[in-house]
Amino acid sequence: MSKDQVIRGVLFYAAVAVFLSGLPFILSSALGYKFNPHSMKFTKTGLISIITDPEGALIYFDGILLKDKTPASIRELLPGRYDLRLELDDYNFWSGEVFVEAGQVTRLENIILFPVRPNLKKLNKEKISGFWVDEERGRIYYFDSRENLVYTSGLKGEDFQDVGMLPEITPPPKRWKVSPDKKKAVFFNANQAVVAEMEGEEGRALPDAAVVLNFSGRRLLDIFWHSDSFHLVAVTDKGVEVVETGAAAIPVTLLEHLKGAGDYYYNEKEDALYFLDYPEVLSSGSGDLFKLDLSLKSSIFQNLLRPKSDERSKRY
Amino acid sequence: MSGQRDIKRIFEITPGVLSWGIILFFVALAFANPVLCAVLIIIFDFYWIIRTVYLTTLLILAYRKLQKQKYRSWAGDCEALSGPVNRKDVYHLVIFPVFKETPEVLLHSLESLRMSEYPKDRLIVVMAYEERNPLSRRNAAVLEEEFKDEFFAFISTFHPDKLHGEKRTKGANATWAARRSREFLDSRGITYENVIVSCFDSDTCVDPEYFACLTYHFLSSPEPHKASYQPMPVYNNNIWQAPSFARIVEISASFCQLIESMRLEKFVTFSSHSMSFKTLVDIEYWPVDMISDDSVIYWKAFLHYNGDYRVIPLYITVSMDAAYSSSFFKTMAMQYKQKRRWAWGVENFPYVACGFLKNKRIPLFTKIKRAFNLLESHVTWAVWAVILVLVGPLPLLLGGKVFSSMAIGYNLPKITGLLFNFTIITSLTWVILSRTILPPRPKEVSWTKNIVMILEWVIVPFVILIVGSAPALDAQTRMMLGRYMEFNPTQKHKEVV
Repeated sequence: MSKDQVIRGVLFYAAVAVFLSGLPFILSSALGYKFNPHSMKFTKTGLISIITDPEGALIYFDGILLKDKTPASIRELLPGRYDLRLELDDYNFWSGEVFVEAGQVTRLENIILFPVRPNLKKLNKEKISGFWVDEERGRIYYFDSRENLVYTSGLKGEDFQDVGMLPEITPPPKRWKVSPDKKKAVFFNANQAVVAEMEGEEGRALPDAAVVLNFSGRRLLDIFWHSDSFHLVAVTDKGVEVVETGAAAIPVTLLEHLKGAGDYYYNEKEDALYFLDYPEVLSSGSGDLFKLDLSLKSSIFQNLLRPKSDERSKRY
Repeated sequence: MSGQRDIKRIFEITPGVLSWGIILFFVALAFANPVLCAVLIIIFDFYWIIRTVYLTTLLILAYRKLQKQKYRSWAGDCEALSGPVNRKDVYHLVIFPVFKETPEVLLHSLESLRMSEYPKDRLIVVMAYEERNPLSRRNAAVLEEEFKDEFFAFISTFHPDKLHGEKRTKGANATWAARRSREFLDSRGITYENVIVSCFDSDTCVDPEYFACLTYHFLSSPEPHKASYQPMPVYNNNIWQAPSFARIVEISASFCQLIESMRLEKFVTFSSHSMSFKTLVDIEYWPVDMISDDSVIYWKAFLHYNGDYRVIPLYITVSMDAAYSSSFFKTMAMQYKQKRRWAWGVENFPYVACGFLKNKRIPLFTKIKRAFNLLESHVTWAVWAVILVLVGPLPLLLGGKVFSSMAIGYNLPKITGLLFNFTIITSLTWVILSRTILPPRPKEVSWTKNIVMILEWVIVPFVILIVGSAPALDAQTRMMLGRYMEFNPTQKHKEVV
């Protein structure tokens, strides 16, 4: 046998020996067994997996500081209850009781450590009463209802600037809603609504093009955008109306003589208004839930989109 | 006869059934018992890493031998030999089976023969053309004009198409050329015992010392006719020009051959190789109906000599072209097809197994050992990458929450990741060695290619996916289904440097 073959033989049997001797330890470790050299027995253990956000937290396990920091796994634990505390400078600590089962992994992998001093930053530079975030354009819009002013800034408050003034309505609008296409916003009080178009290119509102809608003689409870971003669905104390957002638009009453609309919800996806009405007496406390279909395919709305001169109003 | 065919068919089906059986077993187990599947995967991963370290160590040993013998004067050593046969009586018959290769490709190979330090009057060069190629005679004339006076003889043979019992294989062409060469030797009164035949791929460029090295081993071997002589194939002809994908595959192929050279009991001939012409005649030449003629010729001799036949590694290189094409995807496809053709070497298994059944003189233990080694190597080739890359994550994917809440579910990816970190060490060894077997950088190639040729090894996992197991699985499936492959030579890409 040549020298090469002898060397190869030694290498081969060494490889076999490493395989056979290493395999039991690798497998027992994988299955969660711990070898006790004193008793010469394998004991089935469990483990804890810890992942925190942010990483690098100190781990106090049953009061003892471990060498590892998060993310980490604590292995070969006998089944039972353990106290765990995670600490990171400038963050609130996390602590809790952890139960370990034989052959199982206890996963603590969604731990968020919140900062002691929250990362809080004031964004507006003028007094405001409401805001809307346009993620797509990366802009924030601010509304000052006292002065009817609209502002805008970047998402971090940078580039804060005055956009313009809305037409004055009394009392100043308290609420506002943005159209599904994010190009318009409606501001409203109990009697009036102002529709302002939002400029896409510059990310600025154009209050000059605002349209004022009057709801005299009834109280505006809420207003919703139809999915076409052209119609508004107004819920008043007298009924349900739709109105186009163009100038000189006339509201069309869809429902009237409601006994007293209670809860209402507008589903923008299917263009349906859900509302609770009380057919009897409001004080009875029992009512019925109605669904008003306003989708484009519904006949009632198709007629509304192409209104005939003598058919401005439909009765429920 | 029908019984023999049935038995051969069973042996043809065996590798594919085993390979698919192993893969499907793992997949089914991942569904049925993910814990057991994970255990088996860890065992396989650990085995594979130990194997990789072991084989890399063999690679280092083989590489050291290659380096040690690089500057050895084989001609001088031949002179110093004293034996029954004198070096000056030894003739080298070099056969180049050619199909569509252009004279430009062959020119480099023949030029390397002309540059050989071995006496040219002892070289008989046979260009074995295929008659079905209409350009063969014109190409032959071009090369004859250039080389006819350079060697003891420069012969062109033209293998007729569709001879009875033949398939369109390289072996059929080489056999035709060997038969014509025999007639030539007879006409010159040269005894077969003194002729060493080398069957080279058409792009094979030999080291100037190759024939001296071969002669030395032939003359110093106790039974020179009961051995094949296998040089170390490298793909250096165009390695600097080849794209990363092709380069990594070809360098890895060279390394695998170096590793095999250290495992003599498994070592078989591959690609360009040499042997005694007497032996070639005795065993009736290369097979004329099999694609893997380079390895089958070894098994033919092994069976003929009742197991008393071996392959002697020659630690000297023969350089060939790396296979690549004009685009990345074409290169991948070309490499895939080439590796599938190599993997078609699985056809050796039914040939050998049937041969063992007929041969009563080879010891049973030897038969079982050699057949097992052959089968195991092909099955391992077909399944290892699939198990490591595709089957490995299955328990986690299919085991559900119960499995992932178990210790082994948590440990499986961590342990396999840890084990594979060890392979970084072996990978680094391969990277370093790959640098040292390269020829000098051609002037027109930028120095930045040196950096590329180190960084490109990060695509190894991708390479493994493409040419790891898939070509072998493909070849075995074809054989299992009886869809036999046709010989399809790799289109070599020669760039004149």
